[in-house]
Amino acid sequence: MLGCGASCIRITRNMGRMAGTLGLAVDLIILPNHVSLTLTDETTGTSTHSSCAIAKLPISYNVNTRLSRLSWDVAEGRLSLRESEARFREIARQSSTVSKPLLVILVALANASFCRLFGGDWQAMVVVGVATVVGYLLKMCMLKHKVDLKLMIVTCSFVSSLIGSLCYVLHWGATPEIALGTSVLYLIPGIIYINAVSDMLTNHYLCWLSRFMQALIMTACIAIGLTGGYLLMDIKMFL
Amino acid sequence: MDAAWHIIQDGLFAAIAAVGFAAISNPPRQAFKWCALIAAVGHATRYVMMTYVGLGIVGASLLGAIGIGLLATLIAPRVKCPPETFSYPSLLPMIPGMYAYRCLQSFILLLNAHGQADYSYYAYHCISNGTITLFVILAMVIGQWAPILLLNRISFSSTRR
Repeated sequence: MLGCGASCIRITRNMGRMAGTLGLAVDLIILPNHVSLTLTDETTGTSTHSSCAIAKLPISYNVNTRLSRLSWDVAEGRLSLRESEARFREIARQSSTVSKPLLVILVALANASFCRLFGGDWQAMVVVGVATVVGYLLKMCMLKHKVDLKLMIVTCSFVSSLIGSLCYVLHWGATPEIALGTSVLYLIPGIIYINAVSDMLTNHYLCWLSRFMQALIMTACIAIGLTGGYLLMDIKMFL
Repeated sequence: MDAAWHIIQDGLFAAIAAVGFAAISNPPRQAFKWCALIAAVGHATRYVMMTYVGLGIVGASLLGAIGIGLLATLIAPRVKCPPETFSYPSLLPMIPGMYAYRCLQSFILLLNAHGQADYSYYAYHCISNGTITLFVILAMVIGQWAPILLLNRISFSSTRR
């Protein structure tokens, strides 16, 4: 669940629910890259300890939802341990709920709408849509070839900002600044920022800092790509 | 009539943005329509508060986010999904992207500023846009988490069969 973008409070609730049914107390330590778990039998006092690395997975609320449902099935005795293990493996194998071509179209429309919400005109929306399609296809290609995440973000930001600067270069529309600013926003790690603040509000300070730093580094990578785009297109920035 | 059209337009674009950003976080299929509805209501609330009530962007974002959190918490048990499945993508269209962009832009210009007047001008824009970005994001997240945490019995048992 951590790998798929769940907040710490939901993970601890799910763990506590399942352990409580089995008469166990659970102590969960969530570190930036590892999880440490101690289960204590409340009647005998014996305990067992386990730790493992956090899986690096894409954010998936489908997986989180199904794992959360699984925790209730275990807690309310609808599944045996063997059945729940099989269900867990089946959920972990789940593929995307949206096909890749449809995903690219939806993200492009979303970013173009974002541009509109910031006051962009239709020329800016078209340019942002095209910049997003090209950038997102490049992102998927680089992810497939397991390119380093930071390098991928810098590259996609750079390419999208080059296309996003078309309104400046070709003097299209009246809102070139909004087109350029919005063209890279599909890369902003919004879910990680929101999760970071939610961890802060629920006293998971180590996890908060870890997620916040991860999101900050990703944002810095977007900024590097964007600056590269500015410099290459020789755009005279003004405020 | 003009006001109603602007509010509908704002809600519509927020709904499209929420569906697209939701697709990146791979939610269950039945969650998409709720993401669209919640984002439209949340963003339109912020628009009305800013345009017609005269609230600042931080206060308006807080109210919009509270609406998003409340709707997500109430809908979650019906769809058997955690409220975050709807509330996170619905919040994303409210991210103050242009303020963040201007903060970054002035920071880059700050590095090449010549003279005190230039430096002060860019530093002012960097800090003012950065402060608004920070407080809007905090208001958004606190606003959407408040109903989820206050109604925690509903929120954390929403996936129960």
